[in-house]
Amino acid sequence: MSQLQALARAPARAGVLTRLRYLEPVTLLWAALAVALVFLVGAPMLKLLIISFEDGETGRFTLANYAIAYGRARYLEALGNSLMLGTASAAIATVLAVPMAWAMSRTDMPGKGFTWAMVLGAFVMPPYLGAIAWILLAGPNSGFINRAWVWLTGAEGHLVNVYSFTGLAVVIALHSFPLVFIFVKSALDLVSSEMEDAANILGANTRQTMRKVTLPLVGPAIIAGFIVIFLETIALFGTPAILGIPARFNVVTTQLWQFFEYPTRVEVAAAYAMPLLGITVLLIVVQKLMLSRKGFVSQTGKGGERRMIALGRMRWVAFGWCAAIGSLSVLLPLLVLLQASFAKAWGRGFSLSNLTLRNYYYLIFEHEMALQSIWNTLWFSAAAATLAAVLALFVAYVSHRKLVPFAEVLGFFAMAPFVIPGIVMAIGFYAAYAAPPLALYGTAALVILAFTARFLPIAYANAHAAVRSVHPEMEEAARILGCGRGRAILAVTAPLIRRSLLGGWLIVFIVASRELSAAIFLVGPQTRTMSVLLYDLSEAGNFEVLAAFGGILLAITLVLVVIGMKLAGRDFMLRRN
Amino acid sequence: MVQFTRRQTLAGAAGLAGMIGLGVRPAGAAELSAYEKALYEKAKPEGELTWYSGQLNAETSEAVGRAFTERFPGVKVNVVRSTSQVAFQRLSQDMRAGAVQCDVFASTVSGHFSLLKRKKELTQFRPQSADGLIDMLKVADPDNYYQSAYMGLYLLAYNTSKVKAEDAPKVWTDVLDPKWKDQLAVGHPGYSGAIGVWAVQMRKMYGWDYFTKLERNKPLIGRSSQDPVTALNAGERSVGLAVPVGTTLLSASRGNPIKLIYPTDGTLATAAPAAIIAKAPHPNAAKLFMEYITSPYYSAVISKYFNESLRADVPSAAGAEPLDKVKLIAPTEEEAEKQVPQVREAWRDTFGV
Repeated sequence: MSQLQALARAPARAGVLTRLRYLEPVTLLWAALAVALVFLVGAPMLKLLIISFEDGETGRFTLANYAIAYGRARYLEALGNSLMLGTASAAIATVLAVPMAWAMSRTDMPGKGFTWAMVLGAFVMPPYLGAIAWILLAGPNSGFINRAWVWLTGAEGHLVNVYSFTGLAVVIALHSFPLVFIFVKSALDLVSSEMEDAANILGANTRQTMRKVTLPLVGPAIIAGFIVIFLETIALFGTPAILGIPARFNVVTTQLWQFFEYPTRVEVAAAYAMPLLGITVLLIVVQKLMLSRKGFVSQTGKGGERRMIALGRMRWVAFGWCAAIGSLSVLLPLLVLLQASFAKAWGRGFSLSNLTLRNYYYLIFEHEMALQSIWNTLWFSAAAATLAAVLALFVAYVSHRKLVPFAEVLGFFAMAPFVIPGIVMAIGFYAAYAAPPLALYGTAALVILAFTARFLPIAYANAHAAVRSVHPEMEEAARILGCGRGRAILAVTAPLIRRSLLGGWLIVFIVASRELSAAIFLVGPQTRTMSVLLYDLSEAGNFEVLAAFGGILLAITLVLVVIGMKLAGRDFMLRRN
Repeated sequence: MVQFTRRQTLAGAAGLAGMIGLGVRPAGAAELSAYEKALYEKAKPEGELTWYSGQLNAETSEAVGRAFTERFPGVKVNVVRSTSQVAFQRLSQDMRAGAVQCDVFASTVSGHFSLLKRKKELTQFRPQSADGLIDMLKVADPDNYYQSAYMGLYLLAYNTSKVKAEDAPKVWTDVLDPKWKDQLAVGHPGYSGAIGVWAVQMRKMYGWDYFTKLERNKPLIGRSSQDPVTALNAGERSVGLAVPVGTTLLSASRGNPIKLIYPTDGTLATAAPAAIIAKAPHPNAAKLFMEYITSPYYSAVISKYFNESLRADVPSAAGAEPLDKVKLIAPTEEEAEKQVPQVREAWRDTFGV
C-alpha cells in the first residue's frame, strides 16, 4: 500500500521538477524585474496615496489632510498659479520653437550649426542656473538689460522685470523650448516636399502652404511638445523658488515645500500633491485621445523627395529669430554668469580691477562641501544611469520579444514615472523609504534610487527603440547554431545596440546631474548634490560665489556632452525615435 | 580649560588681537588643557560631526569648520549652512524619518531650542569655557541643554551711491514713507529665523500695521536675512531691512557701496544658542565642538568675519559699534517661540508669499 502511494507520488514530484527544468530563466527575470519596478515606482506612489489618508500621529484613516491642503484660499491660489504658469510657459516656448524648427528642417536658413548648438546649450543648462543668470540680466534696477535700456534711451524705470509672472514664464520657456523644437523638427523631417508641392501647384504661396499643409501635419508633435513643457513647468521647483518669492508668486511646488516646514506634514504634502498627479495623467490621456482621432500619415515608406524651401532674403530674418533666441537662452546668461563668477562685486560690471579668482578658489579649496557635492553628483548620476539603463534594457527586451505573458505590464510600469512630477516622486520616496524598516534617509542609496525611478522612462524609451531596431532573426540564427539565449543576447544583440544604449545612458546621466526637485527632500548633509548646494548658495547673499559654482557645474556638463558626442554621435541628446 | 582661560587673561586681548591680525590660527594639540585633551581623545574615534549652521553666513561657517579641524586634527566638521527655518525643517525631517544626521544644531530662533528641550531632543552639557562668555550670554539655559553661540545684530543698511547719508532712514518706521516705494529689500520669515524674530519685535512695537504699510512700498522679498545685501550691492534696491551686521560689513570691506544704520528706536539683538541633539550620531565630537564654540578661538574666527564676539577677552570686529553704545531690542524667548510661527503665517497672508 505504502509502495503504491510512493509510486503515485513519484510522478507528481517528477512533474514539478520537469516543469522547473523547462522554466526558462526569463520567468525568473520577469519576476525580478517586476519586484524592482514595484520597489521603484509602485510602492512609493502607493505609499503616497495611503498616507494622504492617514493621520500623522496615529496612522488612522482621516480626510483631514485634504481639508488642510485645500482649506485655505492661498493654497488653492498656488494651484491656480501653477496652471497659469504652465500654460504661459508652454505657449511661449511653442511660439519660440516652432518657427525655429521649421526654419531648421525645411528652409535654406544659414547658420544651422550655430542654431543647433544654441538649442543643445539651452537644453543642457539647468533651469535654476538660467533663473539666476536672468536676475543679473533683468533685475528691474540692476539688470544689465535694464541698465543698457536706461543708458540708451534715458528712460525712467525698467524695460523688463524678472521678478514678475511674465519674467518667470519667459525664463522657464527659454530653458524648455528645446523640447518643442525636438518634437516638431523630427516631425517636419518626415514631411515630404511633395505635399507642399501639391499645395503650390494649386496656387498657394509659401506662407499659405505652411499654414494649411505643413503645420497641421506636425500638429500632433506641437501638442505633444506643449503638453510636455506644461508638465515640466508645473513640476519645477528651483526657478519658482528663486524668482517666485520676490515676484510674490506662490506655486504648487513651493507650497509643497512649505508643508515640510516644522512640523513636517508629509501627509498634507501627499494630499496636496494629488492634483499634480491627476492633471498629469489627465493630460496624457487627452493627448492620446486627440492623436488617435487625427491620423496623419506623412510617412508612406515611398521615400518622398525633400527639398529645402528657398527663403531668399527672408532667410536672414529666420536666422535672426534663431540667433535672438539663442542669445537670450544661452549666450547672454552664460556671459553674465561668467562675469559674476570672476568678479569681486558683480554690480561693478566689467573692469580689470574687478577681476578675481577668489570665488573659484573659495569653492575649490575652502568650501568643505563643494568638491564633495561634485563627486556626489557624478557618482549618483552614473549609478542611477547604469541602474536605469540595465533595468530598461531588460524590460524592453522582455516586453518586446513577448517572452512571458503580461510582459507589457512591465513596460507600462517603466513608463509610469513619466507622469509623476519629480517633487511628488521625491515625497513618495521620503514617505516610503526614509524611515525604518529600510531607513535610507541620508544615504546615497535613497537619492540614487529616486533618480533611477525618475529617469527610467527616458532610459526605457531609448532601450525600447534600440531593441525594436534589431530583428529577432539574427538572434534566432545564433540560437539555431546552439547558443543559449543569454549568449545570443551578449554576442549578437548587445553589440548591435551598444551605441544607442550608450546615448541613453548619457542622457540620463546628464539630466540626473542637474536634477533638483527630486533631490531637495532626499539628500542628507553628506549626500548633497551640486544642484542642492547651488540652491543653498542662492540664499547666502553672495552671487559671485553662486555664479562660480554654476560655472563649475556648466564646465562639467560641457565635458560630459563632448564625451557623449564623441562616443554616441553628434546628435545623441536630440535624437528622437 | 580653566588653566587656559587664565593664561589667556594674562596674555591679554592684545596678544589675541595680534594673532587674529596676522591670520595665524591658534596652534594645535600642544596647547590643549587636560580637560580638552580628554574630550578630544573621545571625539577622535568618531572622526567627524555635522553642524546645522543657521546663524553665521556660509563663508564664516566654513571658516569655523576649518579652524576647528586645525585645532583638533582628525575631527572633521560637516558644515550644513542654511537659513535657520530651513535648518530646522531639515532637522525635523531627519527626526521624522528616524534618522538624525545632525550633531550640533544652531539657529537664530531661540524658540526652536525651548521646543526641542521640551520634546527631550537635546543633550544636557555645560562646556567649561561657557563661564568665560560675556554676562548676558553666560547662561542660555539654566538646565544647560543649550549654550549661547551667536549674538546677531540686525539693522538697516543703505546703498551709499544711491542714497545720501542725511536722506537715509533713521528709525524702523522711516521706511514706510512712500518715497521708498520699490527701493526696499527684506528677507522672509518662512526661511530666515532672524527675520521671524524681527517681525515679532516690529509687531510688538508698531503692530501688524507696520507690515501692511510696508507692503505698500513693495519691498523685494528674498529668503535669507542677507539677501538684501546682494540686492544693495547690485544697486537693485537702496535700503535693506533687518540685515545682519556680519555679512554687511564683510561686503563693505570688499568695496561694495553699502553702509549700516543703527536705528534710533533700537537694533534687534538676537542672542541665539546651539545645542547637541539627543540622538546625535557623534556625541563626543559634538561636545568638543560645543566647548570650542564657547572658547575664545571661535569668537576670534567669527569676529574676523565681522560677527559679534561672545567673550570679553576677544575684541569685536572693526567697523561695528561697541555693544554698550547701541540700544538693543529683542523679544523674550517665550515670545519668539510662540509668535514666530504666527508672524510667518501673517506674513504670507500680507505679502502673498
